[in-house]
Formats: sequence, structure tokens, C-alpha cells
Amino acid sequence: MAALTQQWWCVASKQPGKRTYEGVRVTRTLLELRDISKTFPGVKALQNVSLDLRAGEVLGLCGENGAGKSTLMKVLTGIYTHDPGGEIWLDGEQVEVTGVNHARELGLSIIHQELNMVPDLTVAQNLFIGRDGSHKGGWINDAELNRRASELFERLGMRIDPRSRVGDLSVARQQMVEIARALSYESRILVMDEPTAALTVAETEALFGMIRDFITPETGLIYISHRMPEIEEITDRVTVIRDGEFVGTVNTHEVEMREIISMMVGREVSAEARPRNVRQSDEVVLKVRGLNTRKLLRDINFEVRKGEILGFAGLMGAGRTEVARCVFGADPRTSGEVELHGKKLNIRTAADAVRNGIGYLSEDRKHFGLLLDQDIKANTVMAAMNDFHVGGFILDGKIKTVGTEYSDKLRVKTPSVNQLMGKLSGGNQQKVVIAKWLVRNCDVLIFDEPTRGIDVGAKEEIYELLETLSAQGKAIIMISSELPEVLRMSHRIAVMAAGHITGVLDNEDATQENIMELATVGHAQLAGDAA
Amino acid sequence: MSEKNNVDQKPAPTRAAAAETADAPSTMSRIMRSSVQQIFVFAALVGIYIFFMFAAPNFAQFSIALDIVQQSAYIGVMALGATFVIATGGIDLSSGTGMTLVAVMAGVFLSGEWMNMPLGGGLILVLLVGGALGLANGANIAYLGLPPFIATLATMMVARGLALIISDKASISIKNPGYGWIANGQLIPGVPNAVLFFILLAVVAAVMLNKTLLGRYALAIGSNEEATRLSGVNTKLWKMLVYVVAGVFVAFGAILYSARFGFVQPAEGLGFELNVIAAVVIGGTSLAGGRANILGTVVGALIMETLKKGLLMMGIAQEWQFVVTGIVVIIAVFVDNLRRRRAAAA
Amino acid sequence: MRLLRTAIAASSLLALGLTACTTSTPTETAEPADTTAAETTAAEETTAAEETTAAEETTPAGEGDIPQGNGETIYLVSKGFQHRFWQAVNEGALQAGEDYNYSIEFVGPDDETKVTQQLDQLQTALDGDPIAIGFAALDTGAAEPILQKIEAAGIPMVAFDSGVDSDLPVTTIQTDNAAAAAEAAKHMIELTGGEGQIGVICHDQTSQTGKQRCDGFVDYVKENAPGITVLEPQVAGEVGLAANTAKAMIQANPEIVGIYGTNEAAASGAVQGVTESGVEDLVVIGFDSGKTQMDAVRDGRMAGAITQSPVKMGYETVVAAIKAVNGIEQPEIIDSGFAWYDANNIDDPEIAANLYE
Repeated sequence: MAALTQQWWCVASKQPGKRTYEGVRVTRTLLELRDISKTFPGVKALQNVSLDLRAGEVLGLCGENGAGKSTLMKVLTGIYTHDPGGEIWLDGEQVEVTGVNHARELGLSIIHQELNMVPDLTVAQNLFIGRDGSHKGGWINDAELNRRASELFERLGMRIDPRSRVGDLSVARQQMVEIARALSYESRILVMDEPTAALTVAETEALFGMIRDFITPETGLIYISHRMPEIEEITDRVTVIRDGEFVGTVNTHEVEMREIISMMVGREVSAEARPRNVRQSDEVVLKVRGLNTRKLLRDINFEVRKGEILGFAGLMGAGRTEVARCVFGADPRTSGEVELHGKKLNIRTAADAVRNGIGYLSEDRKHFGLLLDQDIKANTVMAAMNDFHVGGFILDGKIKTVGTEYSDKLRVKTPSVNQLMGKLSGGNQQKVVIAKWLVRNCDVLIFDEPTRGIDVGAKEEIYELLETLSAQGKAIIMISSELPEVLRMSHRIAVMAAGHITGVLDNEDATQENIMELATVGHAQLAGDAA
Repeated sequence: MSEKNNVDQKPAPTRAAAAETADAPSTMSRIMRSSVQQIFVFAALVGIYIFFMFAAPNFAQFSIALDIVQQSAYIGVMALGATFVIATGGIDLSSGTGMTLVAVMAGVFLSGEWMNMPLGGGLILVLLVGGALGLANGANIAYLGLPPFIATLATMMVARGLALIISDKASISIKNPGYGWIANGQLIPGVPNAVLFFILLAVVAAVMLNKTLLGRYALAIGSNEEATRLSGVNTKLWKMLVYVVAGVFVAFGAILYSARFGFVQPAEGLGFELNVIAAVVIGGTSLAGGRANILGTVVGALIMETLKKGLLMMGIAQEWQFVVTGIVVIIAVFVDNLRRRRAAAA
Repeated sequence: MRLLRTAIAASSLLALGLTACTTSTPTETAEPADTTAAETTAAEETTAAEETTAAEETTPAGEGDIPQGNGETIYLVSKGFQHRFWQAVNEGALQAGEDYNYSIEFVGPDDETKVTQQLDQLQTALDGDPIAIGFAALDTGAAEPILQKIEAAGIPMVAFDSGVDSDLPVTTIQTDNAAAAAEAAKHMIELTGGEGQIGVICHDQTSQTGKQRCDGFVDYVKENAPGITVLEPQVAGEVGLAANTAKAMIQANPEIVGIYGTNEAAASGAVQGVTESGVEDLVVIGFDSGKTQMDAVRDGRMAGAITQSPVKMGYETVVAAIKAVNGIEQPEIIDSGFAWYDANNIDDPEIAANLYE
């Protein structure tokens, strides 16, 4: 605990900015990976990748999904062993990381993209589960754990009740708990894998504050993200890998983000947003009136026209996903009507919605979108099985043909459509989920955070896809927490706050500022009304 | 489909080409890998069989092998249905006493002292009773939202009670000669029909699991019920149907069991469901759902019966048979997990 | 030889007590030799002799010693009610009540798992203030507090079917399962000629009854038939398992000449196993009754079986209760008897009374 205390001291002293230590410009190398290769049967995941982390810096690690970032970090933290020939140097000494616990002893911690917490236990119980000192001879003193957790949160400036059940927390707060847990180990080197995927702007800022506090002349942090603005803001240098190979390392403030993106995808990427499509039709496809749910939504009204992309913006918890699920029939509503092509629909279940040509791509692919145990082709046709059977007997040939066709069309990076979903990267999984709804040929498509956890190159492809679909006359609802994305893609933008639609902006009128205004000021007003 | 959704993308020659070249070997390795699983359980069966050929007197005879298939038929057939249930991530505890209830009803329909129905009609009713038991399970699970463990536990008790009430606790004999033929007749001389029915039903189950909507949806539900529901699949209905199918297989098992003896003991059946589940699990079907393997289930049932037969013929006491069977279950599932973990790491 | 004698004596009680229920003038004492004849195949001829024997032995002190009552209530709390076995016990009890002019209340739980229901019935019996209580305990420990109250109330108590693990009951009327199993063994030796291998299929390896039925057979054979090898006894309480077990025994042991099953499921399964393996001349001996077993005995697939005597158990329980009320000395255990039946005597009334389908 000595090192921990020392570290807290640093936190308590509140270093103001990330480049605090630039003055002394520590160039001591904290960690070095040399010629790391990792071979899985039949696949070379990493090939002679080298990377160095200097003391006192934040190193960005960029690459498309599937480029090998996660594999590299798993090698670093002892989850995988690398092939012979590679070397890991820590503080000038060569080490062999034998496992997760060994990595922790060495001061290496990783915060994974997927949260590893037990939802039914409290925050404090999660923080200390499996740790020395969390119990005395098998007896657990919850009061003691809560006290220690409170202290920890206090030092970190987090306002989280250690007694709350983790499952009751928002994803963002769960993530903060996870970060707190990693920080509470005596870590000198911290790896964060896509930590902001589920965070709002404000929470991201708070996270950056914590990262800045963490950095001292003795520590270093590797930051993995697809969000270029974040990379630009928080990192000192960026290492790029592509297809398991080292591409290069650059100083963040000496390059344009566009250049980093080019290094990642291996081709030039335009930094300009493309001009928005002009709305094609006045024909209303989907009309929602007076939608209410028991918990959150109040009097939701909107319509989507043919060929239109209606963006949904708002802070987390504003109710955007709830609107989508409710329209789709996944959750019950207390009142409200859904009209499709002017005809009132009686949607009670997701099956009703799908039958009427409404498709929904969930924000949480893993839980609500994918069959990880099944292969690509099975996932591709999942929503349209009615077209793939004769009298209950499945047409395997047709499934394979169509699966391959869409896999090619959407450029799913896979050797074969027989690949299991669980083995694809996030971006490729998302493409398969999109393919599922394209195969179903829905008139209305609801995309909930379609680019979450997806690398830059794949993001561009998904934007193109959305535009193509809109050009084909689909009515599209796109929920996104990334304002630039909403602004770039939407014809109109509905802004939500606390279960209400607080405004619908035409694209020409929308700016990040007025969207945020509707999303936040509206919230305060509504809260005032309610009170 | 393709015309309707012409999502033209800029061609990506490099990736497409890479995908094509990678396609062939990967498909091969996939086939290899999926059959490795089946080869493993099958190898275990062969290994156990060979062991007994040397260890148990008179074991090395074709008739013994036939016996094993015949004697494993009723558990095996019920396990075929249970494979679907377990594929959805569910469990069926009612198959044992449910089998007894169905067999009692077979006696009621077919026995001369009761309704004395013609064989064909009686058998259809028997299958309907099995289906109805499954329907009760399925409806309670899918529509009332009861956990499968609880719902089928309740059915297990109800079935046990009903079997005793209907039979008035006395054994019922089914003297219909056609009925006995189902299990004991020999369409192929020397081979009891029970063996043929077992094989036939296994083929039917394999086709249902791999080639029909029911099987596909069962696996999808076991894999991720919510994602399947949000794909527009009426998961409640299909889940219920899976239990109905399992119930019908239980009825087939009941027919094979009672036809073999020509009578039914109404107090029996409790505990059979555990053998059924063990057969499925040994066969490599995941209790977590999403993965199932009919051939594995058949081999699982055969492994259990081979052990029983071999140990009996060695004259080993029953308590030791339990111990050995338990150890085999652990080894089978452990090795299967190991193999799967290795496959997952690749 | 002691065992043999016990078996002979006991088996003579068999059909016996029931005949006592229906006969009112038995006095003559029969020689043991007569009783042995009763279980041999010439059942019809020996019926008369047996009746007398049975009556004599069931009431060794003479019938006159049992005081007639004035319609006082004797309460019997059994382990079951609907099952035919318990109905036969009830029948015997009612008969005794009629013979000696007592009013019999016979109750029992729905099945043999309903311990609390039985305790309620026992309490009700106590509340009814009968002159005596007969009790077949499902769970002795659970019943102990009420048994204490009965004792305190000065109501004499007798146990039947299985022992009540307590000093409180005056006596226990039960089937001597070990002796009955020895009887089965005696017939097995006779029918197989005392040479070869014998398989044993026990329906249960944990209950007292199950163990006695198994061990009684094995011990008798070992002691009396050196030419016979008893294979490792196997446990199979279900028909299917019993059939598979029998089959495996036959396949693994070509010398096998007989199989003994300790209840209906075990014995019926053995018959099926024998049929399926296609061997002939294999002697199957069973235990208890039940339709399938009786059918097998009738058509010769089963050589014969032992039945308990539930009717006599009921009768004797009431008699013991009456004696207890009147302070007449009794042995600690009274055997309620058993009987050998085969195709020849299965329809004799005194046998048939103890058989149920």
C-alpha cells in the first residue's frame, strides 16, 4: 500500500495540465516492447511490433479494429504469451509477464473495453473482489470495504456511492468504477482500451482529468481510442499499427489527425465532411404520436420521411434508446401510436415491428444484436428466416449465397462466412448486423450508436452505407452521442432531454452549440417543471 | 434480395482477394474442428468399448453391442429431445416422470382392461400426451416466464403424481402384440426394432436441429435470446415449440420403454431425467445453450449404457458403477471445455 | 438348519392367519412336517392341514385367552391407505375386530413420504382416546413426542410392518424378510438342483427390508448349497435397469441357472431380461405380488415368488393390541408370516387374499 499512498499524494496535489512534466521532459523509457509477434493457429496476429512508453507520457495506440491493438495489450498484461524472439523491457530490465496477477505485481494494469464487473454486487464489493486484504480468513467486512472505497473515490474526485449495486449504475459510472479499481492497484503503467466508448462529453472530460492526475514522472499510460479528437487532446505521442504490423510513432502535436488516420487505414482520408444529401421526398414513412412509457418517455412525437435520416441527439439517459426500443416493440409503451405509410400499426412485440419492415440495430451489439456462437451467414439472415426456408426446412445454400453476397458488399473482413461472430472485430460485427437488416429489406431502419467501438476506416464505410440507404429511400433514425456524426449525417435532428423531445432542428440550423443547449437547458427546465 | 438492396460499395480489391485466398483453408479447418468434437466423444466410446472387450467376460460379441444400443434407446431418444431444450439454454427435469406418465397413458389407451384402442390411434394419442406435457412446460416457461428449472421441476412432480393416481399405484400391462413389436420385433432379423427406431429418430432430430427453423431458432435463442427476439423472431412461440418437441421425444422414449416390457410401473422414472441430461452433456452440448450436437447426444447415451453393461458384466457392484459414470461425465465435459477453450483462443 | 426351520415354521403361518380370520374352529396342533407340505407344490391337498396349523400357530395361547371386547376402539395408524398392501392390512384388522368385538379405526397417509400427515393422524388417534393404538412409523424420531404422550396417557401401543425404534411399543408385528428370503433361496436350490451360478437383483440397498431380502437369500444359499455360486448382488429398483442387469448377468455368466429379484420390479425385469437373452430353463424367483409378476408366475416365466401376508399382519396387530390392553405377555417381535406361491397355488383363496395386482 505504500506505493499506492504515494500515488494518491500525487493525485491530491492536482497537477493542472497534461504537459506539466514537459518542462523537465523526462525521456526515460518506462516500458519497451521489442519485436513482439503472436501467432495463433493459422493466423499471424502480430508481427515484430515494437513500442516504447516513456515515463510521464500518454501514448496513443491507434489502428483499425483487428489491427492487433488488443492482442498487443493482452501480451503486455500477460493474458497471452508472445512468440519466442520478442522482448518486454520494464525500467531497463527484461521481464517475462506470466499472467494477469504477475502483470499487476509489475505495476501493469489494463482497463478493458468490456467491463469486467459483477452486476449483482455493490461497487465496493466489486472493487475489492479477489484482492488480498479484502477479507480476513474468509470473513468479509462490508463496512470496511465501503469505507475504503469511499476514501478511494474521494481521492479520485468521483462521486459514486460504494453501496450501490453495480448493475444499477449507468455504463459510464460503471466505467469509472473500473478505472478506479485499476488505479487502486499500485499501477505505474495503465492501459485504457476504448475507455470513452460509453461516456458522454462531460464524463470524458472528467476521465481526462483523472488521466492527467495519474501521470507523474514515474508513470505512463497507453490510451487506445478510435476517437481522433480524444487522441489529439490527451496523448503526447501516437503509435500506429496496421494488420498486426508496426506502422510508425509520431508526436501528436506535430501531425494532423488526418495523417494518423491515413497511417491507420493505409490510404488518404478526406478530413472534410461531405456535403449533406438533400431531402428527397415529402412522403412520411414513419409517424410516431404521443408515445409514453411508464418510466421515462413523455409525449414523444416525430416523423421520418422517405429517404431521410433523422438524427437523435441528447445526453446519456435522455431516452433516445428507449424511443427506439419502444417504437420497435422491444419495450412496452403505456400509450401512443405508430403509423407506417399512413397506416396505424399495432406493434406489441419486436416480431410485429420486423414484420412491418422496421429494423433496429441496438447500441449494445453484444447483448442485443449478435449471436456470438453462430456464424456470419446465420447472423446475416436471422431477421429474414421466412425467406430462407421451405416448410420449415432451412435453405442452407441460399443462406450461404446471400451471406457471402452481403459480406462482400459490406466488406466484412473475414476469411469465410462460416466464421463465428465472436471472432470478428467490432466493426465487422456491426457490418453483419447491418447486413441482417438489409437482407430483411426494412423500410425503416433505426441505428442506435452505429459507430460505437468501431475504427475510423469502418466508420467511414458505415457513413457511406447510411447515405446509400437514404438515397434508396429508406427512412432512417440514427441515434448518436457523437455530435459531429449527428451533424454530418442527419437531415433533421431531434434533441432529447429527460424523456422529452426538446426540439427538432433542420440540419442547416443545427450546430453543436444549439443541440447542447436543447439537450441540457431543456433538461434543467424539465426538471424545474417536474419539481 | 440483392436487387432490392443494392448497396454498391467501392470495390475493395485487396481485401476481397485476401478473403478469397483465405477461404479455402479456413473452411477446411472449420470442418476439421467441428468434427474433432464428434471424433472425441466417439473415440471415448470406442475406448471404453475396447476396454470392456478385454476386461469383461463375453463382452466382445455383436449381440452385446446390439444390446447396448437397444438398452440405451429410451434414454437416448429422450436425450434427443432434451438436446433441443438444452440448446436454448433451458433444462427439462420432467422427462423421467413424464416418460412414466406417458407410458401409463399408453397402457390406458391400449390395454384391454382400459380403453383397448386400436394401435395406430392409441400411439397418436400417446404422442399427443407427450406433446401436451411439453406444451405445459413450454407455456409456463415462455409465456409465464418461469425459469425452466422450476417449471419442469413442477411438471416432474405433477407427472409423477398423475402417473400414480391414474394407475392407482399398480403396474399396468399393455398386452397389445403390435405394441410389443415396436421395441422387440425384428424388421431386420437379429436386430430389435428399438435399435432401428433409435437410429431413425436420431436422424430426424439431426435434420431438425441442423436443417429446420426450429433447430436454428433453438440455437439462436440459446446463443442470445434477446438478440433473437430483436431480430423479429417470436422467441416465446419457438421456445414453447422446442419443449413440445422435447415432450414428443419423451413420448417416443416412453413407447420404446414400455413396449419392451409390455407393462408400466407407475412409480418409476424419477432420476431418468438426470441420465438424459448426462447423455446430452457428455455429447458436447453446452448447458449454457447455443451449441448442440445430436450425434454427440447419441454417443453420450451409448457411452453411459456401455459403462453400465460393461461394469455389470464385470460383476462390479452398482455403487461403483455410479462412481465411474460420474467420473466419466466430469472427464467428458472437462476435455470438451479444454478443446473449446483452445479453439476459442485460435 | 435353524434358518431352515425358522423358514418352514414361518412360512406355515402364511396363508394361515388369514384362514384364521375366516375360520372359527381351529384347535388341533400340526406337526412341522405338515406345514412344510404347505409350501410345496401340492398346495390343494394341504389346504386343510394348513388352515389348522395356521390358526394354531397364530394364537399359541389359545383363542380363549383373547378377551372379547364391547366395541371399544382400537386405532391403527399405518404407513399408507390406498395401496393394496395397506388395504389388505385393513381387511385383516377389521376381521379381527369383528371376531373379538372391537371397533377398528384404520388410517394412513396418502403415501409413504407424508410424515407430517401421519403424525397428525397419530395425534388424532391419541385424541380419540382408544383403548390401544397400532402404529407403523414412517419416521420414528419425528413421532417420538407423540409416542411419549400416548405412553403418558396410558394407552398401550403395538408397532406393525416395520419396527418403531423405541421401547414404548409392547410388541412389533412384522414380516421376517430375512426368513422369507431364505424361503425363496430354499426353492431356488430345489428348482436348480443346487448347482451353478445364481444372480441376485436387489431392489434397494439401503432400506432394512431391501437388505434383509438380499442378505437372507445369499446367506441361506451359501450355507446350504455349496454347489451354487452367488454372483455379486446388483441393485436395480426399476424394471428397465433390472432387465438390463439380468441380461448382462446371463451374458457374462453362461453357467447361470437362476435369478432372484427382491421385489416386483426387480423380478419382472429379470423375467424380461431372461426372455430377451433367449436362454431357457433359467429359474426366476420373485418377491411380493403385482400384476406383471403374477402373470409371469401363471405362465411359467417365473418359477414362483414369496408374498408377505398383509391380511395376517392386520389381524395379528389387532390381536396383539387386545392382549396388550389386557396385560398378556407377548414376545417382542411377532412374525406376520409370508408365503411361497407358484403357478399351482396362486389361485388358492388363502394365497390370493395376500396377492394384489
